[in-house]
Amino acid sequence: MIASQLRSMWLVFRHLFRRNATVQYPEEKPYLAPRYRGRIVLTRDPDGEERCVACNLCAAACPPDCIALQKTEDEDGRWRPAWFRINFSRCIMCGLCEDACPTYAIQLTPDFEMCEYDRQNMVYEKEDLLISGPGKYHDYSFYRIAGKAVAGKKKGEAEQESKPVEIKSLNL
Amino acid sequence: MPTITIDGKNYQAEEQENLLSVCLTAGINLPYFCWHPAMGSVGACRQCAVIEYKNTDDKHGRLVMSCMTQVREGGIYSVDATRARQFRGGIIENLMTNHPHDCPVCEEGGECHLQDMTEMSGHTMRRFRGRKRTHRNQYLGPFINHEMNRCIACYRCTRFYRDYAGGTDLQPLARNNQVYFGRHEDGLLENGFSGNLVEVCPTGVFTDKTFSKHFVRKWDLQSAPSVCEHCAVGCNTAPGARAPGNGKDPILRRVVNLYNRDINGYFLCDRGRFGYDYVNSEKRIKNVLVACEKNIISSTAAPGERIHGEIHPEPAVKHLARHLAEVQQGRRRLIGIGSPRSSLENNFALRELVGKNNFFSGLSARDLQLLQLVDRTQRDARIHCPTTPEIESADAILILGEDIDNTAPRVALAVRQAARNRQKRQAQQLQIPLWQDASVRQLRVEASPIFFIGLEKPRLADITSATLLGTPEQTALFADSIAQLILGDDTGARKLAPDCRAQVEQVANTLRQAENPLIISGCGSRSSDIIHCAGKIAATLADTSSSPCSLYLACPEVNSLGLTQFFPAGEGDLEQLAHTLEIHSGTPCTLIVLENDLYRRADRHTVERIFNSADAVILIDTLLNNTARHADLIFPAAATAESQGTYINSQGTAQRFYAVCEGASYIQESWRWLVDAANFCKQKSPQLATIAAWRHSMDLSEALAANFHQFEVLEKIGPDENYRLNGLKIARQSHRYSGRTALGAKAQVAELPPHPDPDAPMTFSMEGIQSPAMTPLSAHIWSPGWNSNQSIIKFQQEINGHRLGVRGSVPIRRQPQPLPEWQLAASVPAKTSKTLTAVPLYRLFGSGELSVGAAAIASVTDIPFAQISREDAQRLDVTAGDIGQLQLGGESHTVEIRISDAQPPGTVGVPSGLPGLETLAALLPAPAQLERRSDREPGETP
Repeated sequence: MIASQLRSMWLVFRHLFRRNATVQYPEEKPYLAPRYRGRIVLTRDPDGEERCVACNLCAAACPPDCIALQKTEDEDGRWRPAWFRINFSRCIMCGLCEDACPTYAIQLTPDFEMCEYDRQNMVYEKEDLLISGPGKYHDYSFYRIAGKAVAGKKKGEAEQESKPVEIKSLNL
Repeated sequence: MPTITIDGKNYQAEEQENLLSVCLTAGINLPYFCWHPAMGSVGACRQCAVIEYKNTDDKHGRLVMSCMTQVREGGIYSVDATRARQFRGGIIENLMTNHPHDCPVCEEGGECHLQDMTEMSGHTMRRFRGRKRTHRNQYLGPFINHEMNRCIACYRCTRFYRDYAGGTDLQPLARNNQVYFGRHEDGLLENGFSGNLVEVCPTGVFTDKTFSKHFVRKWDLQSAPSVCEHCAVGCNTAPGARAPGNGKDPILRRVVNLYNRDINGYFLCDRGRFGYDYVNSEKRIKNVLVACEKNIISSTAAPGERIHGEIHPEPAVKHLARHLAEVQQGRRRLIGIGSPRSSLENNFALRELVGKNNFFSGLSARDLQLLQLVDRTQRDARIHCPTTPEIESADAILILGEDIDNTAPRVALAVRQAARNRQKRQAQQLQIPLWQDASVRQLRVEASPIFFIGLEKPRLADITSATLLGTPEQTALFADSIAQLILGDDTGARKLAPDCRAQVEQVANTLRQAENPLIISGCGSRSSDIIHCAGKIAATLADTSSSPCSLYLACPEVNSLGLTQFFPAGEGDLEQLAHTLEIHSGTPCTLIVLENDLYRRADRHTVERIFNSADAVILIDTLLNNTARHADLIFPAAATAESQGTYINSQGTAQRFYAVCEGASYIQESWRWLVDAANFCKQKSPQLATIAAWRHSMDLSEALAANFHQFEVLEKIGPDENYRLNGLKIARQSHRYSGRTALGAKAQVAELPPHPDPDAPMTFSMEGIQSPAMTPLSAHIWSPGWNSNQSIIKFQQEINGHRLGVRGSVPIRRQPQPLPEWQLAASVPAKTSKTLTAVPLYRLFGSGELSVGAAAIASVTDIPFAQISREDAQRLDVTAGDIGQLQLGGESHTVEIRISDAQPPGTVGVPSGLPGLETLAALLPAPAQLERRSDREPGETP
């Protein structure tokens, strides 16, 4: 009994000479890995176009159903979200949306500092989410690979595509 | 019934059935592409390979295509054998070598048969390193988007479009690996069933362009069983809806087919599929509108027309309640005008509110009489109203004066299948099973006899054995002589021209010899003689064969036959209303118009008489129309997809439809506005107290069942709002519905509970029963691994059988009555030099009142035109394309003149209901004058 208490006191005493684990947050920020799952952003492809094609897979994958968006098709033939909303007050930072995204558009960032006095401010719209860079994936562009024709990339101009078939020729 | 073994398990199979159907009926997941339950097998895709063993000693077996293999007694098969699986995996890998990998930007994604089958076959990674073959797309009109690179060359599209629907302008072009499915040049797909390509195509080559404008994935659509409101066939639909996240997107997003074996099977017409968009149109009434007391500049409005402003519903309902109170005190009269495009429940509510004697049909005397004649004819015990499979199996068909291609398109599609019955019989004699589609279609057999007698050359003309074109009077004359000839009396036929006589005799002989003849007619010609004749022919045929004869009478609108049930013969028409109003002009009168544009129903004079005699006009409707201009108060009515109710289709089948979504803004069911007003009345008569007590749509259905013996079935066609399955309601949303906590978060981050549904045992949420196998109330056709609409086979009793569960459509029970006595009166065509008889023409896009409100349909709707014969054109000195002035019933319209060789001389074809000419619809047929417009100003268009 006494021995146990003495042992505890010794342990506590020993800690006086240990280095501090606590960081003086927010003055001092801890290191977060680039793949840390924090605040979600929408990125752009290397050409500066929005990567999100409004496929809705992130919304379908989202366990708390906190992502909603609406597809629209622009004159250049690209699909884009007319609006894109993440309700961060529901988000659990699980990263499934990032896993589900076929275009690397939605990415989680090492930023977790999202505190608001008003919960309504936790609702992020597309203009709050969209960043100007490509995020973690520098080179990927969905439309260079997928066969859908968009402005600046006609049929047969995507990767691994041959020239369109001339239906009315003999094609021998 | 052969017993077969699949992977060691024994199954009972239908005689002569193919192995694929047997596997699918047994619930075995076997991938396929080219097979379609309605179109049979061609063995094109090689995807459904299985192993067939000779006997129990055979351990090796051989690969066979299950869709091309007829089951044999004692057959041993394996779906799971490694060799079969590898083969199927190899096939899908080959099919995918050219796939553009654009699923994220493909409208089919999430309900794609190709995705499902690829998953099922286990192909996950692309190994092929070669280049992809690519194609350019075509513009196929405002309905269908074309993305040819997604094609896997299963040939389903052309098999449906050409072989099944009789289209000619979609073809397989080029060859082998480069085969291309498209038109010879860009342009609108001409066939009226082109929309089915969206569902028939197993990938995303053909997708719904109107849906793409406000696209969401299938799993994000909430749905409920509904009924198409664009004609009287009553096809079952599954509209998809999703709440807007920005307050601007439309709620109703699309319509897809909902399988009902007896009516639409797997297919809808384009009016039904793309007409839904009227709900989202700019003309949609979303708020209560009240006529303003502002001065109207006379150049923008005709006398008596009003302009309207929005008000809050409460004062408006109180206003209506004040009128109801005055009615109770005897200081005011209340007149109700019903509608054939509104549900039985809405019409009944209005009838109860205004009283039986003050309720009018909202149809002209001629239309109401025609409908009552249809109703009376169908009551005869010798007459049978055929279902679609019965139409498809008829061995001789006579179409009398009804342009079914445009007035009942789904019936025309069924008739097209009936043309193959001789071929099918030949196949059976040769022991070719009917699912062997290519083999059966190759048989060179004369088409089954289908005769058309009517005004305009039908699209069905390519399959008809004889087409007799003539005015409605001539049609009646032909039909009458056919009826006589069946009885062996040729007095009528002898009066006809020799070539007509030969044809009429041929028709009569064929019908007499047919085992299963079918007569099709309807209200389209607006001639009671034709309906009388159709009834007479059917009754005569029934007498000679001593079994009921099939007679399909097409009604003009979705609930025409239902509305007719409220009125005894000779009562309830608009002319009568105009007359009564003028007699009782002393007391002030309030007119409640239910979902009806009176200008389409009766001549302008009668409608104006009605409006002038009423001192308050209250309209409850979905779209702004001509009647709305005269209304003092307009309440927004729910469209079909936003409400629950019952429609009676042309066959006399009662079908309940359920709300898919809540209407935007203040939209609610028409009957709810009436009940709200009744609730605001302080003093309530017993009648008003009953109305005020209605809370659920089913309360009205039950009251209808109690008041009308015809409608007793209404209590049986679907459970009431207290029904529970395993203690749960039925969910409208799928289990994958996304965005629940974000969709409305912009407006309010706190999630609100879903709207309660007072009418149906269904929820506007994901909670509840989601399996379509457990209840037909679930319209979200989905099965694990089967995300596309192909999964419907999982919910059929057998392939092409009835849907599992209780059927939601039941024939109404009408008192049998023999056909009325009738003789064809000798017609004396009165003709003056310049007078023509205007006869109605029908157009798939244009004749439907609501569907023209859909933007895509409006974009392909014709301009106002009048069609005359070449003779008349010479006589009037006009050429095709001239701008003419059509004088009809005191109205004058600018039209484009068209010349048709098929138009009977002395008649002018006027498109019924076409925007711009909609006020003429009620007048046809009528004497008319047409002349070239001389005062045309440069640059003016009609």
